[in-house]
Amino acid sequence: MVKRFDAKVAVAGVNLDVPAGSFYGLLGPNGAGKTTTLSMAVGLLRPDAGTAWVLGHDVWSDPVRAKALLGVLPDGVRLFDRLSGAELLAYHGLLRGMDPAVVDQRARELLDVLALADAGRTLVVDYSAGMKKKIGLACALLHAPRLVVLDEPFEAVDPVSAARIRDILHRYVTGGGTVIFSSHVMEVVERLCTHVAIMAEGTIKRVGTLDEVRGERSLEDVFVEVVGGRTATGEELAWL
Amino acid sequence: MALTQQQPTLRQPSAALFVRLKLRVLANNMRGKSWRIALFVLGLAVGLWWAASAFFLLAAPGFTDNVDAAVLASALGGGLLVLGWALLPLVFFGVDETLDPARFALLPLRRRTLVTGLVAAAMIGVPALAAVVATSGLVIAAALLGGWVAAVVQAVGTVAGLILCIVASRAVTSAFATMLRSRRVRDMAAILLACVAALIGPVQIGVVALLENADWQRLLGPARVIGWTPLAAPYTMGIDVAAGRAWAVPLKLLITAATVAALLWWWSRTLESAMLGAESAGPAKAAAATSDSAVDQLFPRSMPWLPRNRYGALAAREARYWWRDARRRAGLITFAVIGVVMPVMVNVSSGGLSGSTSPVMISLTMVFVGVIGAASLANQFGYDGSAYAANVVAGVPGAVELRARLMAFTTYLGPLLLVIAAIVAAFLREPADIGLMLGSLGAAYGSGLAINLFVSLHGAYALPETSNPFAINAGSGVAKSLLSILGLIGATAVAIPIVVVTALVGGAPVWLWLAAPAGIAYGVAAAWLATYVVGDMLDRQMPELLQAVSPNR
Ligand SMILES: Nc1ncnc2c1ncn2[C@@H]1O[C@H](COP(=O)(O)OP(=O)(O)O)[C@@H](O)[C@H]1O
Ligand SMILES: [Mg+2]
Repeated sequence: MVKRFDAKVAVAGVNLDVPAGSFYGLLGPNGAGKTTTLSMAVGLLRPDAGTAWVLGHDVWSDPVRAKALLGVLPDGVRLFDRLSGAELLAYHGLLRGMDPAVVDQRARELLDVLALADAGRTLVVDYSAGMKKKIGLACALLHAPRLVVLDEPFEAVDPVSAARIRDILHRYVTGGGTVIFSSHVMEVVERLCTHVAIMAEGTIKRVGTLDEVRGERSLEDVFVEVVGGRTATGEELAWL
Repeated sequence: MALTQQQPTLRQPSAALFVRLKLRVLANNMRGKSWRIALFVLGLAVGLWWAASAFFLLAAPGFTDNVDAAVLASALGGGLLVLGWALLPLVFFGVDETLDPARFALLPLRRRTLVTGLVAAAMIGVPALAAVVATSGLVIAAALLGGWVAAVVQAVGTVAGLILCIVASRAVTSAFATMLRSRRVRDMAAILLACVAALIGPVQIGVVALLENADWQRLLGPARVIGWTPLAAPYTMGIDVAAGRAWAVPLKLLITAATVAALLWWWSRTLESAMLGAESAGPAKAAAATSDSAVDQLFPRSMPWLPRNRYGALAAREARYWWRDARRRAGLITFAVIGVVMPVMVNVSSGGLSGSTSPVMISLTMVFVGVIGAASLANQFGYDGSAYAANVVAGVPGAVELRARLMAFTTYLGPLLLVIAAIVAAFLREPADIGLMLGSLGAAYGSGLAINLFVSLHGAYALPETSNPFAINAGSGVAKSLLSILGLIGATAVAIPIVVVTALVGGAPVWLWLAAPAGIAYGVAAAWLATYVVGDMLDRQMPELLQAVSPNR
């Protein structure tokens, strides 16, 4: 897949194969093109070239079938935040063509598990950043998709909520689902993922199972080496 | 936690820095986007054209050597200008928040630095330029009437007047934004806003009446009084010198300075809460958990006919949003007031005095009301912003999406239009005409919806993510006005058959009965057709639409 914005090439040819049932981590520094790649993969952003398949359905030529299998938590995207948590879930559920009774029951469970039930009728605008991530995740999972695509799901989430999200995702993968998420936090990726891809400057630098990518070293070392981070000499910022 | 340390002396930035920042932001906004440059140039041309006409109008008394006319021109012109600056942003254009106060919240700036900086930055822009050009006509008049002393005084007054205008517009919009943001007082704020909008009608009528009333001498008295109010005090100084009342100048300067100071104080108070971005909704009503199921919570009780499916969910969400989103609510309330005041004014002043209003006139004004009502949808996707991604990901069919949106909007506008027709009929004492009114409203509203569906898809633009419902980005202001004007013209053109039929048939009793069903059927057909045509386009353009309405890109 390729995407250009005016003169800037945000994603310069990415080819990812996400095996069904895998827990896939897309790693990369800020501006690497993770969000752009995932947006193109789920049908939010039209690629300049290439396409994406979800379990055999082309997202760009057969969107209805492909999107039914997908759950998405986009990054930096506002939810319809003038709704309360329960209202938002009901909206997403019905939008996916689910039965109202099923929506009600799953919404209650999700709100309980994610500890959002206390918020009651508080509007999502008034939620904290972590709560917004959690309700976004709930919306992505509500219709029991076969593949969930999460962009920075752990950003701004407190450790307790993060642990809860990890549990849920773990159970989901064990139950046969597939997760692909982007992050730049090494520990989370190292702890959770079966497969990893490291992305920088719009291309995939390393890809494979977690062990293949990190080899003998820690994932962080590999990442810094691949991305080409600069090491500080200790001279600069002396005034700090 | 206390962090103590000898403070390093912090130099406060000068106002010039804010001005440079604004220019830089404006330039970067336009970089590489030729259509934005074109729009900017267009806005500049229109603004300067208006300013030039006003300039000659205000300078004219100097050439005819008529001091009384100069008093009139300065007092009335200046008063209208200040009033316009203070009130119009609330209703029509929005205030340019290129430099959003919230962005400065974390910087160690004194409030005074921030306020002067923001005022200075606000002087950069087409409206301020146009105001300066227009009012410099008064300087010319003062120079011709009273020599260079009068000219200098008038020039000082003109600058003071500009500052007054800017501070007034900031203070008023900031105060209203704060009110609308806090949900607790939103109802009161809504009524206040409606009153402000309603003020515009009488002012307009007053001006028209004044212009028609050729007896200028009688106006001199009121004009002198207005010259002493903060509205026109700065603009009448030089003329006072020319008229031999130099003693008035220090007093008027004092009036202006006091007003500016009061407005600045008011503004800086509301600015603080704007910077905190405090959604001071009061204690969130978290406790009010209900036993209602999630789906029941989503659907408003007042809309029991909505099916519990995708279409129903879309319509329910839209209906909730028209009330919960301050931007949309402001639009609705403004329309409610304008929609009642405007037709009453026009019809009463055109024929009410002589007894009867012509059916064509009634039909035309109703067409106008219907078209304006539908214009609230011109940027309906822009209101959603990036949240629209949810609908893209779910792959909602375009036609369903559009039908639900029209249904939700009409739930508000439909009853409103009925009320408007009833009020206008009552005012004109022509209950028989209500059928004609409803027919014209229905046809115009339906055509307006149809046209605005096109506009909302092809002309969608992102609104800034601030909590100020009146904020727009500089540049998109021109685009916004241009698009809505295009939409209005297009919708009027589509709705014009009903006026034509009325003109041909006149007040024939058959048509008075037939107009309502025929017009409404016409409107429904137009809107229905548009949901399919535009829905088809939407199916193919959802990602592009999402890009267009996502801010910061
Ligand atoms: N809509 C856009 N217009 C212009 N540039 C963009 C747009 N979206 C992303 N970019 C640029 O593309 C690059 C990749 O961005 P992104 O995919 O958001 O990175 P990541 O999510 O890995 O941090 C960045 O340099 C960003 O500035
Ligand atoms: Mg990103």
